[in-house]
Amino acid sequence: MTKLRYLALLPAAALVLAACGSDDGDEEAPDETTEATEAAGDAGDGLSGEGLTIGVSWNNFNEPRWAKFDEPAIQDKLEELGAEYISTDAGSSAEQQLTDVENLISQGADALIILAQDGQAIIPAVESAADQGIPVVGYDRLIESDQAFYISFDNVEVGRLQAEYIYEEVPEGNYVFIKGNQADANADFLRGGQEEKLLELSGCTGPLTTDNPDAECPIKNVGESYTDNWETSVAQTNMEQFLTQNNNEVDAVISSNDGMALGVIAALDAQGLAGSVPVSGQDGDAANLNKVALGEQTVDVWKNAFELGEAAAEIAVRLANGTALDEIEVTSDLGSSAPASTTTEPFTTPGEIDVWSIILAPTPVTQENLDEPIDAGAVTQEEVCAGVEAGSVPACP
Amino acid sequence: MAEPTTPQAMGESTPGADTSPSGSGEGDKPSLIRRLELDPRLLGMLVALAAIWIVFHILSGGTFLTPRNLWNLSVQTAVIGIMATGMVLIIVSRNIDLSVGSMLATLGMAMAILQREWIPQWLGFDHPATWLIALAAGIALGAAIGAFQGAIVAYVGVPAFIVTLGGLLVWRGVAWAMASGRTIAPMDDTFQRLGGGRDGTIGGPATWIIAGVTCAALIGYLISSRRRKVKYGFAARPLWADVAIGVVGSALVLGAAWVINSYPLPQPLAREYAEARGIDYPEGGLDIPQGLANPVLILIVAGIVMTFMATRTRFGRYVFAIGGNPEAAELGGIKTRWTIVKTFMIMGILVAIAAAVTTARLNAATSGLGVTFELYVIAAAVIGGTSLAGGIGTIPGAMLGALVAQSLQSGMVLIGLDAPLQDVVLGIVLVVAVALDSIYRRRVQR
Amino acid sequence: MTTTAAKSATEQRTPLVDMRDIRVAFGGVHAVDGVSIDLFPGEVVALVGGNGAGKTTLIKTLSGAHKADSGEIFVNGEPASISNPRDAREYGVETIYQTLALADNIDAPSNIFLGRELRTRLGTLNDTAMESTTRELMGRLNPRFKNFRAPVQSLSGGQRQSVAIARAVHFNAKILIMDEPTAALGPAETDEVRQLIRQLREEGLGIFLISHDIHDVFDLADRISVMLQGKLVGTVNKADVTQDEVLAMIIAGKHPEDVTQSDINGLHR
Repeated sequence: MTKLRYLALLPAAALVLAACGSDDGDEEAPDETTEATEAAGDAGDGLSGEGLTIGVSWNNFNEPRWAKFDEPAIQDKLEELGAEYISTDAGSSAEQQLTDVENLISQGADALIILAQDGQAIIPAVESAADQGIPVVGYDRLIESDQAFYISFDNVEVGRLQAEYIYEEVPEGNYVFIKGNQADANADFLRGGQEEKLLELSGCTGPLTTDNPDAECPIKNVGESYTDNWETSVAQTNMEQFLTQNNNEVDAVISSNDGMALGVIAALDAQGLAGSVPVSGQDGDAANLNKVALGEQTVDVWKNAFELGEAAAEIAVRLANGTALDEIEVTSDLGSSAPASTTTEPFTTPGEIDVWSIILAPTPVTQENLDEPIDAGAVTQEEVCAGVEAGSVPACP
Repeated sequence: MAEPTTPQAMGESTPGADTSPSGSGEGDKPSLIRRLELDPRLLGMLVALAAIWIVFHILSGGTFLTPRNLWNLSVQTAVIGIMATGMVLIIVSRNIDLSVGSMLATLGMAMAILQREWIPQWLGFDHPATWLIALAAGIALGAAIGAFQGAIVAYVGVPAFIVTLGGLLVWRGVAWAMASGRTIAPMDDTFQRLGGGRDGTIGGPATWIIAGVTCAALIGYLISSRRRKVKYGFAARPLWADVAIGVVGSALVLGAAWVINSYPLPQPLAREYAEARGIDYPEGGLDIPQGLANPVLILIVAGIVMTFMATRTRFGRYVFAIGGNPEAAELGGIKTRWTIVKTFMIMGILVAIAAAVTTARLNAATSGLGVTFELYVIAAAVIGGTSLAGGIGTIPGAMLGALVAQSLQSGMVLIGLDAPLQDVVLGIVLVVAVALDSIYRRRVQR
Repeated sequence: MTTTAAKSATEQRTPLVDMRDIRVAFGGVHAVDGVSIDLFPGEVVALVGGNGAGKTTLIKTLSGAHKADSGEIFVNGEPASISNPRDAREYGVETIYQTLALADNIDAPSNIFLGRELRTRLGTLNDTAMESTTRELMGRLNPRFKNFRAPVQSLSGGQRQSVAIARAVHFNAKILIMDEPTAALGPAETDEVRQLIRQLREEGLGIFLISHDIHDVFDLADRISVMLQGKLVGTVNKADVTQDEVLAMIIAGKHPEDVTQSDINGLHR
């Protein structure tokens, strides 16, 4: 048993490693976020959050993005405006989130920002808050209720941007579409945006399905599949099969996100095709921005979550101050995420409800503008430029 | 009680390989299969595999049975296959391990962080020993996690289902926490070779050599086994049967090597290969056989080692005895609890090796690695003949089971079947395979 | 309470096994409550008693399956510490359990050598040598036994029994424990087992025989130890008692001297 006791220390070491890892991750963000928000400037019309409490209901803090980008951004903006920040984590449970919202209200929240685990299941909580006169901001994920303000990035636009940048490289040829998880509505939003843009730019009548009914269309769909859990290794296997099926005659791959793009690039690399076949992605993952710098990924559509958080915080304070849903205007400088309109626009949900919204613009990142995510603090220059020949891209001198 | 009347009918004894005693009410003339002394269920699986391959070949318009696709298939099978060889021993000894998918993520993440962040602090990037240190550390960590879980099962007495269910949750969280959910990429150059891909194969000549050695070993085994039986006075197979097995077996091995070597290096890589060696790159391209991919080599070695351990060592015998009758094993003086811990340790080591292969192949470590893999690994073992009741199972069977499952999955993508439908098919096949197995077993018992 | 009435005539010899004042308790229940029995070479001592009398538990302390809470065991006059089956084997004790304790999924030779496998020079299992030895053994014990490679699950009750016996007999045991050896057997096989027991006794082994079959007991035993509810009622020479008297001991706990005619009538009612 003594031997085992020593061996049992090693898993403990793994946990220590985990703790160190997460510390390292956190250290970088705050410094750069403060820079970013200072640069963004405050809401110039004398908006103040003094004496107000804003409650944020997270759906699942396990995802890296929220802790690293969104939360610091919201916290910083609220601090700037003089408001107080409280929060809960629903651990991916829709039921838990209902309780969390009640908790925030009883802790004295004057307005709520909710990242909904389930846009339908959260409705009772939203309506209950509205009944108590507490306004709600639906953050990043759509809530099917006209009582909630909707602020997000335009997911259909992400798909359009992916298609646009790939089409620029490959106006004619064999395309493969690596889509997200079938059960995730976003997967279809993205594919829809990609389809829309490709048809617009190519002039084809479409649809761009694998049977290619439009015989004269220069763009041919030679492979399309959903990917379980958006999982990297599944994307790799699927891409290998598509390459086999088409005898490597694939000219472009539209991957809906970065995780899957890594798998696609690995499959291409095994055939010596990495770098010569354009690949798209989404999320601005450090590993993928590195691939962009290396030339193995063409575009990475990045959503600056700092700016989303900042905008949401401003909106929440305005609502708490009594501004009506349809009179919201965002005055913070949102940089490249600036929406088409800084005043609210109605947005029709898939459930055919009109919600008041501000939709931010995603930022396509190519080799030309890698400095943007670096400057915003989303990644470091070391991460982006690892293994990159000095001077080959502007961001890596 | 019917006792066997024909000596030839006695099957080759592998513990738990479930050879059926012939003559138990089945008539006097033993069938061809029994006279060849081959495990009928293993043969049945080979037939099923052949059927699946042929069906997909037709449905995919002739793409499935190409050297390229079969080569890819072998690599895609490797990760699940490696883990399945360890799962057999765990299930045989009446336990289960639900945590292997999550362990895969944690160990992959650990090796990735070591390679990219820790080791370079002392040795710099691209040091020739980096991959070895990372791999060794990963294996040690895998063994430790396995021993830890095994100790709780064996010495504290918590059911394996619960312990490893806890592990499934814990190690998934740890994998995320280790890098705050970041993806770590790329891997060290030498480490990448463990995953296949460029520079990740052993080459044409080496593959032929391995095939040749395997054939020689098969024939040698047949000869020595025959001699041994004669020496001890047992009945051996008829000579024609031994010769037939030797010939067919060798043909299969050499045929497989030929197929593997028929898939040449992709031309862009061949060009790089030629340039690196100052060879002329001709117009029509170069035909450079890649040979076995490293993951497949690792799978084969793991399979051989595990089969040896299961059938020729005391440890393996004890694992099966515990599965057959834990009380009998205790009364026989076997250290049952220590044996159980060892099965979990070995599983941990195999998961670490599989993690190395998959992160090398992906050239990235994500915290979402291996989600639901435990189910595929268990399915592979079960399709391959391992009984969840314990006591029965073979390692080659599990490897075949992994190949069957992967053939289905890859084939379905090739013919364009949607992902959820793929899951439906796999689920149905799993249940059918186990049902056939139960029916077969019941017919064979007294 | 130990009875001294049944000391065998050869009491000057050192007993093969001397178990003194053995106690085993499970929770508050005294399964074995201060029992002392002994065994001499070349004799069969039958251990009898109703359900729950404690016979199996008592014998498990000798076979190593369960450690006694208190009491002492002497083998050949030397104190013996038996805490697991390995220890028991080292003292020359072999056991045939009521359930046979065979691993159903492995074959006869593997079962016989379970825990004591023969190995090749390289350290791997020498299945061929084990099979060959088993064939020899079976040739003597059960010549009709043919199925050496099949998992023992597919063998008949009698064949499984012979495997268990072969295992007990092969390793130069001095002391054999047999727990209900004929319970699952037909008449022909029962006969064979009885033959074997007599033969082993002649070879000088000491045998503890647990049996509920009074005929077997009277056929084979030299002495009979009776237990009731964890206590020893008494140990008698078979030659000195009748079946009815033994039955009375088993059921009513009375010593042979105290058994009256009306008790015997009561048994037969």
